Amino acid sequence: MNSGSLGKTYADGAIIVRQGDSGDCMFAIQKGQIEVVRRGKDGDVRVAVLEEGEIFGEMAIFEREARSATVRALGEVRVLTVDKKTFLRRVQEDPSLAFNLVRMMSRRIRRLSGEIAELQPGGVARSQDTLALTDAERRIERRNRTDRRVTKDRRSGGNRRRDAERRGAVAASPSPA
Amino acid sequence: MKSRIGNGVLERGARPQREHADMGVTPSSTALQQALVQPEQQLKAPPCSEACASGTDAREWIALIAQRGKLGLSNVNAYTQAWNMVAAVNPFPATLGRICPHPCEAACNRRDKDGAVSINALERFLGDWGLHRKLTLPMADRRSWSESVGVIGAGPAGLSFAYQMARRGYRVTVYEKQDKAGGMLYFGIPQYRLPEAVLGAEIQRILDLGVELRFNTAIGRDISVRQLRDLHDVVFIGIGAGAGIKLGIAGEEGAGVWSGTDFLSVLNRGGTLELGEQVVVVGGGNTAMDAARSARRTGAKVAVLYRRTRKEMPAIETEIDDALAEGVEIAYLVAPVAIEREGGKIRSVRIQRMELGAPDGSGRRKPIPIDGSEHDIPASAVIAAVSQEPDWEGLGEIRTGKIWIEAGSHGALGQGFWAGGDALGPGIAGLAIAQGRQAAEAVHRQLRGLPAQSNSTSAVAPRASAKPDRYPAMPRSTSPYKAVVARLAQPDMEVQQTIGETAFLDEVSRCFSCGSCFGCEQCFMFCNAGGFTKLQQVSPGRYFSLGLECCEACGKCIELCPCGYLTPRPRPGAREF
Amino acid sequence: MRPTARGARQQDNLASYFEEQEGQLALADGSRIGVIGGGPAGSFFAYFLFRMAESAGLHISVDIYEPRLFDRCGPAGCNHCGGVVSESLVQLLATEGINLPPTVVQRGIESYVLHTDVGQVQIETPLQEMRIAAVYRGNGPKQSEPVAIAGFDRHLLDLSATVGAKIVRKLVTGFDWNHGMPQIRTADGDMATYELLAVATGVNSQILEQLNSPAMDYQSPGTLRAFICEFHLGQATIRQWLGNSMHVFLLDIPRLEFAALIPKGDYATLCLLGEDVDEQLIESFLASDEVKACFPDTLVPTPACHCFPRINVRAAVRPFADRIVWVGDSGVNRLFKDGIGSAYRTAKAAARTAVFHGISKADFEKGFWPECRALIRDNRIARLIFGVTTLIQNLRFLRRGVLRMIAREQRDAGKNRLMSSVLWDVFTGSAPYKEILLRTFHPVFPLRLTWNLLAANLLRTERKGMKEGAR
Ligand SMILES: Cc1cc2nc3c(=O)[nH]c(=O)nc-3n(C[C@H](O)[C@H](O)[C@H](O)COP(=O)(O)OP(=O)(O)OC[C@H]3O[C@@H](n4cnc5c(N)ncnc54)[C@H](O)[C@@H]3O)c2cc1C
Ligand SMILES: Cc1cc2nc3c(=O)[nH]c(=O)nc-3n(C[C@H](O)[C@H](O)[C@H](O)COP(=O)(O)OP(=O)(O)OC[C@H]3O[C@@H](n4cnc5c(N)ncnc54)[C@H](O)[C@@H]3O)c2cc1C
Ligand code: SF4
Ligand code: SF4
Ligand code: SF4
Repeated sequence: MNSGSLGKTYADGAIIVRQGDSGDCMFAIQKGQIEVVRRGKDGDVRVAVLEEGEIFGEMAIFEREARSATVRALGEVRVLTVDKKTFLRRVQEDPSLAFNLVRMMSRRIRRLSGEIAELQPGGVARSQDTLALTDAERRIERRNRTDRRVTKDRRSGGNRRRDAERRGAVAASPSPA
Repeated sequence: MKSRIGNGVLERGARPQREHADMGVTPSSTALQQALVQPEQQLKAPPCSEACASGTDAREWIALIAQRGKLGLSNVNAYTQAWNMVAAVNPFPATLGRICPHPCEAACNRRDKDGAVSINALERFLGDWGLHRKLTLPMADRRSWSESVGVIGAGPAGLSFAYQMARRGYRVTVYEKQDKAGGMLYFGIPQYRLPEAVLGAEIQRILDLGVELRFNTAIGRDISVRQLRDLHDVVFIGIGAGAGIKLGIAGEEGAGVWSGTDFLSVLNRGGTLELGEQVVVVGGGNTAMDAARSARRTGAKVAVLYRRTRKEMPAIETEIDDALAEGVEIAYLVAPVAIEREGGKIRSVRIQRMELGAPDGSGRRKPIPIDGSEHDIPASAVIAAVSQEPDWEGLGEIRTGKIWIEAGSHGALGQGFWAGGDALGPGIAGLAIAQGRQAAEAVHRQLRGLPAQSNSTSAVAPRASAKPDRYPAMPRSTSPYKAVVARLAQPDMEVQQTIGETAFLDEVSRCFSCGSCFGCEQCFMFCNAGGFTKLQQVSPGRYFSLGLECCEACGKCIELCPCGYLTPRPRPGAREF
Repeated sequence: MRPTARGARQQDNLASYFEEQEGQLALADGSRIGVIGGGPAGSFFAYFLFRMAESAGLHISVDIYEPRLFDRCGPAGCNHCGGVVSESLVQLLATEGINLPPTVVQRGIESYVLHTDVGQVQIETPLQEMRIAAVYRGNGPKQSEPVAIAGFDRHLLDLSATVGAKIVRKLVTGFDWNHGMPQIRTADGDMATYELLAVATGVNSQILEQLNSPAMDYQSPGTLRAFICEFHLGQATIRQWLGNSMHVFLLDIPRLEFAALIPKGDYATLCLLGEDVDEQLIESFLASDEVKACFPDTLVPTPACHCFPRINVRAAVRPFADRIVWVGDSGVNRLFKDGIGSAYRTAKAAARTAVFHGISKADFEKGFWPECRALIRDNRIARLIFGVTTLIQNLRFLRRGVLRMIAREQRDAGKNRLMSSVLWDVFTGSAPYKEILLRTFHPVFPLRLTWNLLAANLLRTERKGMKEGAR
C-alpha cells in the first residue's frame, strides 16, 4: 500500500460496519466502493453502493441506535473513520459543518424515494423498511414520495429503473405478495 | 510493517554528559553549515544582448519601458529614453527593426517558454516612433576636435563609423561612389522589406550632425587613396562586398543573366528589366531570396536552385517562408551546369542533381554532383545570386592581395586606416554597424589618448539564468503581415507592418529582464529577516538594497528571484544572528 | 497605509460613507471579493465562500492573489511548515467532502515516537488507522523529483478554482481605500477594488506591515523564528528508521520548545520551534545523540532544503474591519499546533459571516471574532501546557516518570491511556488545549504519574546498575 494513503484498507468482502452493532463514528470513502446490505428474513438485500468521496454510517453520529445495515467492501476499499466526538465537538461551534452531510443525505433520500416511486405497491413497504430512516426523515421521505408521484410521468422513469437495477435494489425486490 | 521502533521504552542506559553550549562546532563542516546559503545582487549579461549583432543591449531599453511605472516615467518619456539608449549604439533602429535576422531572439531565454520576445518588432516600433517624433541623434561629447575623418562608402558600416565620430566631435566626410547612400541597404534590400523613406530618414539624421556626404565620388577613380590620406587624419574603409560572383558556366555571358546585386540594384533604383516568363535564381542566401521575390513581383514564375537542403540555407528563415508564400519555387540539391540559348535568348538551364557528402570547412555538408542526373528546365532569365565580394577597382594600394580585408582589433589596419562591414567578410547590417562603432570608439581613444575600454577587458559577466516558469504565460506578438495577394499586386508595399502600441507594450512586458532586477518585490516581500530595503531613488535594475547583517542564510530570495539577479555567494562562515 | 493626514482623512470619508450605507454592508449578486494569499486560509475562505454563497443563491466572484508556484521545488514554491495535517482536520475535511489523495499525502502517520535522553517510547493511535497526513506545502524540497508529488496548498488552491475562484498569479504590493472599498495594487502596477477583501498572507510576508494602519485597528501578529529542513533518506531508509511515525524530541536544549521529525516520501522533515531558533540551537540539536540515533550510522545528512519561517505566537489585534477580514496565520492561529486547522476554522468563520451576516466590522465582530476568541482563549491554556512540557524537557526525573507511564499504558492494552492520550493530543494538536488540560484533572492521572515518577527514578538506579554490570 502506498505510504501516502489515509485511513484503513479493507479487502474485498470485508465487513466495515455490522448491522446491529453500536457505533460512534462515520466513514468517508477515500478509494474504492462499498455496498450497504441489510439482513432481512429473506436474506441479504443490497441497499446501495457508495463510492469515493461519499460518507456512510452517519446515522450513528446523530442517534444512539444500532447500525441499521452492514457495510462491506466491494473490491479493495480505503476508508477513513470520522469520530463522533470530533464531529460533535466541532459542529456545535460551526453548525455549517453539517451542510455537506445534510446535502448528501438529502440527495440520498431523493434518490431512494425516486426508486421507491418506481417500485410496485408491495415493494414500497419493503424498501421503506430497508431505508432505516428516522421518523423525521420518513416524514420528509413521504412528502418527497408524493411529489415524486405527481412528477413521475415527466421524469424519465426508464433511466431511474435501470439505475435502480444496477444497484441491485430492483432485482432483489421480491415479487408483490 | 516491520520497524526498528519497538513498542514501549527502549532504555538506553548510561549516556555521556550533554554539552551543547560548548559543542565546538566548526563552521562550514556541519550538515547545517553546508546547507546555509546567502544571496548576492549581481548584474548579469543577458543572452539577447550577447547575441545582438549590432551590440545593442536589448534588455536595457526593453526593461526601461517595461519598468516605466515603477520608475515614474510616462510612456513618451520611457520611449524617448529607450530610443536614445538604442540610438547611441545603433543609429538605424527603424531599419534594423525591419531587416535584421535578429540572432538576439534565437538566444532569448523566453524562446522555449512561449516564444522569444519579439525584440526586432519592438525595435521597429521604437525606431518608427523616433522617426515620427523627429528625435535627433544623441551627441556623446559637446567638445569638437580638430582631427578630420574620411570614410569610404556610405553603407551601414561607413555611416555608423561616421555617426560615432561625428557625435564625438570630429569632422567627417563620407565618399560614396553611387548617387545614393545606404549601400546594400539601399541597392540590395528591396522596398517591400525596407522602404526608401525609412532608410533615407535615418541616414539624414546622421547627416544632420554635420557629416558631409559626397556622392558619385569613387575612391581610386575620382580621388586616389593617397589624396584621401592627405586630406584626413583617419580613413575608414567601408566598401562592402558589392561585386557579384559569376557562376562560371557555359552560356553565362550575354543578355538575360544578371548577378543578384546588379539585378536588385536596377530594380531598387526604379528601373525595369526584361525578364520574360520564367526566372531562374541560383543561390540560397538573402540575395537569392530578395532577387526571387522581386522577380516574382514582376509577374514572372520564379524557381530558385540551391545546391544543399533547406536546413543549410543561409537566408533568413522568414525570408524563405515569405518567398514560398509568395509562390517562389525552391528546388533543393540542384546546381546549374549550363545556360542554353536560342538565337541569343535564354531558352533553358541545364541542371544537375546533388547529394550531400562530408561536412566542408563551413561545417555544412558538401554537395556532390550525381553523374548522369542532368536535365533541362525552362528559363527566360537567370539571376546568379551565389555570392558577393568587395569591389577592389582602383583600390590596389590598400588591398593586401586577399579577397577580404584582414584587420586587427576593432578594424585597425595601421597608418590611420581602419575598416569594417562586409569588406571584412560577408555579414549582416547589424554587424557592419557594430564594426563601424567599435572602430570609431577605438579611433577616438587613440586620438585622445584614453585608456582601453574597461568593459572589453573585464571578465564576462556570468550568463543570466532566468526561471521561465516564474513568469506568467503570454503569447508572442510580432510585426503583422500583409496578405500575399496584396503583396504581389503592389510590389513596393511593405510586407510587414509595425506593431501597434498596445501590442508593443504587451510584448515589452514579456521580457524576463534576465539577470537584472526588475523590482518584482518577491525578495522584499518574502525575506523574513528584512534583508531587502526599498531604495528611495530607483533606477532600472536597482530597486532594493540588500543588507546581509540580518540575513538568516535561508536562500529563499535566490530561489524566488525570477530573473536570476540574486545568486548564491560563498558564506563567510558561521555567524550568530 | 501609513499613519498620515491622508489616512486620517480617509478614515473620515470612510465614516461618512458608512453612515449613509448604515446596515447595508453585505454581499450581493455580482459582488467581487479579493483574497490576498492562496495558502490554506485563502483557499478555504474562497472555497467555503462559494459553497455557502451557492446555498444562499448568491452569485459572486472571487480573485485569489497568489504569486507562489506551488509546483516548484524548494522554498520558492512552499509555505514552509512541518506539513502535518492533524487528525481532527483530516476528519473534518472528510466530513466537508474534501479528501486528500495519496499524491498529496506523502505519508499517513499512525503513531508518535517520543525521544528523550532517558529513552524513547511509541504512542499508537487508538484506532491503528492512518488519520494524520504528512504533506508537502510546496512541491517537495529543492531538487526533489516532483513526480507524483502534489503539494497540499496546490491541492486546496485547485479545489477553490474548481468551485469558481479565479487565481491571479500576482504579488500584492500595496493596499489602500478607494471610496470606502478596499483596493489593492500588484507588483505590475495594476489596481483592483473589491467589496470585500480577505487577507490570508500568513506571517511570512512583508505585506502585513502595510496593513498595520490607524484607519483600521489591525495589528499584525507577534511571531517567532522557527526552523525547518528536509533530509533526503529514501523510502527504504525511512521505512526502516522512522516508519509511519512522527518523532518528537523532548531534549534539554535551552530555548527549544518543540522538535519533531516527520517522515514523508523520500524525505524527512525536521521542524524546530522555540524562543529564538538560531544556528547555535540547531547545531546543538543536530549534534545530540537522540537525534543522531534516528539516522543510519548516527550521521545527520546535509539538509536538502531549509528555511526559517515565522510562526504566529501572538494573535493579531482586531483582524477585521468594514469590508476586510484577516484569516489564517495573518489573524489568529492556534499556538504551535494545527495551524492549518485554525486556518480552516477562521477562514470558514469569515466566509460564513460574509455570506449569512454581512461584511461590516460589526458583522465580523459577531460572526467571525468568536471563532478567533475561542482560539485565543485556548492558547492561554496552551501556554500552560507548553510550560509543563518544557518542565519535562528540563527535568530528567520527570521525563523518566512520563516515559514509564506511557510505556505501561501502551503495553497493557486494556488500560485507560491517560498520559498517552494527553501527549498524543498535545503533539498532534487534535483536541483543544482546554480539553487536554481537563483530562489531566482525571483523578487517576496525578496518582498514576506520582507512582511512575517514584518507580522510574528509584528502580532505575538498580536497573542501570544491572545493565552496566552486564556490559
Ligand atoms: C540582397 C541583399 C540582401 C540583404 N539582406 C539583409 C538583411 O535582410 N538583413 C541584414 O542584416 N543584412 C542583409 N544583407 C547584408 C547587408 O546588407 C550587408 O551586410 C551590409 O550592407 C554591409 O554593409 P557595408 O557598409 O559593409 O557594405 P555595403 O552596404 O555594401 O556598403 C558599401 C558602400 O560602399 C560603396 N563603395 C564601394 N566601393 C567604393 C569606393 N571605391 N569608393 C566609394 N564608395 C565605394 C558602395 O557603393 C556602397 O554604398 C543583405 C545583403 C544583400 C546583398
Ligand atoms: C516551523 C513551522 C511548522 C509548522 N508546522 C505545522 C504543521 O505541522 N501542521 C500545521 O497544521 N501547521 C503547521 N504550521 C503552521 C502553518 O504553517 C500555518 O498555520 C499555515 O500555513 C497558515 O496558513 P495561511 O494560509 O494563513 O498562511 P500561509 O500558509 O503562510 O499562506 C500565505 C500565502 O499568502 C501568499 N502571500 C503572502 N504575501 C502575499 C502578497 N503580498 N501577495 C499575494 N500573496 C501573498 C503566500 O505566497 C502564501 O501562499 C507550522 C508553522 C511553522 C512556522
Ligand atoms: S527575456 Fe528579455 S532579457 Fe531575457 S533574453 Fe529575452 S529579451 Fe533578453
Ligand atoms: S531571504 Fe532574506 S534571510 Fe533568506 S537568504 Fe535571502 S536575504 Fe537572507
Ligand atoms: S526577486 Fe525581484 S525584486 Fe528581488 S532581486 Fe529579483 S528581480 Fe529584483
